[in-house]
Amino acid sequence: MRNLLNFLIKYNYWLLFLGLEALSFILLFHYNSYQESYFFNSSNAVTGKIYEVSGGISSYFHLKSVNRDLLDRNMELETKISNLEKALKEHQVDSLDILSLERLPRTSFFLFKANVINNSLNLTDNFITIDKGYSAGIRPDMGVVDANGVVGIVYETSPYYSVVISLLNSRSNISCKIVGSNYFGTLRWDHSDPQHALLENLPRHAQFNLGDTIVTSGYSSVFPEGIMVGTVDDMGDSGNGLSYLLKVKLATDFGRISDVRVIARRGYREQKTLENKCIVPNE
Amino acid sequence: MFQMNNWLNKIGWATGLVLLQVLILNNIHIGGFATPFLYIYFILKLNSDTPRNQQMFWAFGIGLVIDIFENTPGINAAAFVLLAFARPTILRLFTPRDTYDSYVPSKKVMGNLPFMRYLIVCVFIHHIALLTLESFSFISFSLLLLRIFLSAVLTIICILAIEWFRK
Repeated sequence: MRNLLNFLIKYNYWLLFLGLEALSFILLFHYNSYQESYFFNSSNAVTGKIYEVSGGISSYFHLKSVNRDLLDRNMELETKISNLEKALKEHQVDSLDILSLERLPRTSFFLFKANVINNSLNLTDNFITIDKGYSAGIRPDMGVVDANGVVGIVYETSPYYSVVISLLNSRSNISCKIVGSNYFGTLRWDHSDPQHALLENLPRHAQFNLGDTIVTSGYSSVFPEGIMVGTVDDMGDSGNGLSYLLKVKLATDFGRISDVRVIARRGYREQKTLENKCIVPNE
Repeated sequence: MFQMNNWLNKIGWATGLVLLQVLILNNIHIGGFATPFLYIYFILKLNSDTPRNQQMFWAFGIGLVIDIFENTPGINAAAFVLLAFARPTILRLFTPRDTYDSYVPSKKVMGNLPFMRYLIVCVFIHHIALLTLESFSFISFSLLLLRIFLSAVLTIICILAIEWFRK
């Protein structure tokens, strides 16, 4: 007994070492299996505040490119409007018809503005922190986009901050399709390169060209149909040879996202509960 | 002024290194792979007669704070505690026989070559543990090795730069 005690006292640092490592691993695995532990991620108040200050400073460095994106977007919208006006005039629509168009039921999607205050690119699982939380109406599983395209999906919210699973995360999968063909596949990230992702499970009989545009499919209940994701950069076969595996050049530049929009959809909870009810537990 | 000899100074260094790491260095990815993990400088420069348990508590605390900022609970803490645990042994291995009992590891005290060996071994222990835990798979093994190597080189360069600056 005395020998054992002496041994323990002499090598107490081994016990401490094993204890601290065990604690670290418990944190590591606990965090991965439960979403509840948001105390330890950056939606907690102190880290959120620090990131907000640093995000406020670093957003100035991006002002020029943000401005350019806005100008591009503006120009795109202006040409769209002028085209639409032209089309309307061509069809000689009655002014009463235009009025009734405006009285259509309000769109089922609405948007929240938010700023990115923390972002990472080079981890296996990248997260983005934004400065709006559930007090602003943001809930987990809402989609996040910026002026160029899809950014990610809200994962966890606290009163004033939210953590977003970026596209550059092994847990992100988003249903996408190729413009014009309606064949759809799943977008995943292979943690190699922050500018590219992979589109999986696209059927063999789908037809497309390199450079075709990839947009969201609208099946996932998170994003509405037709939001820009990227363009086809390269094509190959999946491991089992049953489907295509496309390399997609992402439209969003994750290195400099700062202004984002969070998309909320009326009735998405209803769809979600309905779908969950239909999943029969197998095995 | 730049010494790390009392509690207040240590806390100042820890805060400075953590903020530097989470606000600036974590945003550096040279070639998409290499990120310097400069916060380990804190443990590397602790006095050689600091109790091992105290070193491990410092490492756990700093690692955990960085984890909280990075949304990676446990990873930095685990790797950093491993380094703090191994450091006294490594230090004993590489120190020339005729040095004092209590000293701060540096080029001047240990000599150029032993200090470089100590630095390289410590940095690699930490980086291998950290980046392996982070990817948690050996699927892209060559990619992982590349990341470990490039990041370690970058960290070593940063540490040598600080050493040179403090001289």
